[in-house]
Amino acid sequence: MSAVLAVLVKDLRLAWRDRAGWLTAAAFAAISVLVYSFAFDLATTDVRPLLPGVLWTTFLFAGVFASGAGFQREAEEGTFDALLLSPVSPTVVFLGKLLSNLIALVVIEFALLIAATILFDEPLLTPELVAIVMLGTAGYVSLTTLLGTLGSGPRTRAVLLPVMALPLLVPMLIAAVRATGDTLGLFGGEAPWVMLLGVFALWSTLTAVILFPLAVER
Amino acid sequence: MSAAQRLYRLRWVVLPPLTGIGILAMLVGAVVAAPRELVEGDVQRLMYIHIPSAFAMYLAVAVLFAASIMVLWKRDMRWDAAARGAAGVGVLFSGFALATGSLWGKPTWGVYWQWDARLTSTLVLFLILIAYLLARTVSDPDDEQSARYSAVYAIVGSLDVPLIMMSVRWWRTLHPQPIVARLDPQLPGSMGLVLLISTIAILLLTVWLIALRTDTERLGQRLLGLRAAVDRREEA
Amino acid sequence: MDGQLGYLFAGFAVFWAGLFVYLLLLQARIRTLSREVERLEDRLEEAEATGTPPRTGAGR
Repeated sequence: MSAVLAVLVKDLRLAWRDRAGWLTAAAFAAISVLVYSFAFDLATTDVRPLLPGVLWTTFLFAGVFASGAGFQREAEEGTFDALLLSPVSPTVVFLGKLLSNLIALVVIEFALLIAATILFDEPLLTPELVAIVMLGTAGYVSLTTLLGTLGSGPRTRAVLLPVMALPLLVPMLIAAVRATGDTLGLFGGEAPWVMLLGVFALWSTLTAVILFPLAVER
Repeated sequence: MSAAQRLYRLRWVVLPPLTGIGILAMLVGAVVAAPRELVEGDVQRLMYIHIPSAFAMYLAVAVLFAASIMVLWKRDMRWDAAARGAAGVGVLFSGFALATGSLWGKPTWGVYWQWDARLTSTLVLFLILIAYLLARTVSDPDDEQSARYSAVYAIVGSLDVPLIMMSVRWWRTLHPQPIVARLDPQLPGSMGLVLLISTIAILLLTVWLIALRTDTERLGQRLLGLRAAVDRREEA
Repeated sequence: MDGQLGYLFAGFAVFWAGLFVYLLLLQARIRTLSREVERLEDRLEEAEATGTPPRTGAGR
């Protein structure tokens, strides 16, 4: 546990030192919410039904970009390989990375929720919605972290990461958009979307934690 | 030598004639023998390609999944060749399933594309297979690190399949589209028989293609090994 | 009903043409690969005949 904490602190410090990558992801997310609300406002008078889709596509793109960017420096400097060669187990390395990505993404997402509350005039910081956002983020961050640390070169990773990650995240995206819509009273569905989100989060975290050590083993 | 290995050695003797016979039977069955569907007409004969292609895709995914586990477990690059072969053939057949599905959907549903549960999950699987191939082919065929990473992606992708199906089914069942045509659950016996024959034929074709593709990938790996050997010689 | 035959034909055409093109491409790739493998094997044999000792173990 203390090892996870140590790696987490190291990763967070690294994320802070390398904030350009994260800030780019955050700026990208903020701008896409702005552009969405602007473009949709031109097309339809009622933007509200589109809100869950806007939020989650933005979250996903921001998450995928951030996981790639956050890892780039480490891959280039070789600190990641050094960490894997150290006596710390790969699982711990992965958990630290996962938690630091999660924390950074949650910060970005809260900022986005506040921005969307203002732009769409809809109270978004409700406890239910915050819970859904956290659950959904826990679901996708483990997969984007896993895939972000994979791949041979940083250049190919930056291009490939969205292509690889987004199809895998389709179930999570559907469940998250539906669950968000339900809490906003947009579409009346009865399917247990929140449960599916939970199952996805559990599944993706377990799979990633089990497979990561196998992938980096040499 | 185990029975499986002995069988694998015989693949070029067994597979081509069996596949040939199967495909012929499928053609005769689908074009001539099967009765004309009363509601949909002759277009329904696309079923004999469409449904087997979907099965073939799932077979390819199963092979990809198994081979990827073996890549991680045995560290043998031969399994990586098999995984890439299966992924390539999977892309081919999921493409067939999507294309024939669209061409069947236009006259029966009135549209080429619907966000129907099965179509959506096939499309997502198609994208996952393409992503696997892209990720694997950006590095050399004998790059073991890349093989392991890609194997992880293939495993995650295969395990994702039930979740994808569950999510799209819930999504679509609760919000049905106005035009939904479903395959008649009670197929007449002769149609069922032709469908069975077509499925066997196309699955044989799939196995054959996967074996062929795997051997091609092996050849590529051998080529890289030879290049390295020649380089070493000429340096010496 | 008659217009539907076009769709049936298109579906079958996509399948057979796709399969044919795929096999053709695969065949071409196998041919170039095996030619290259043969060429390299010859070169390796030649090198062996002239008697240069291998620095590291012989190739696979």
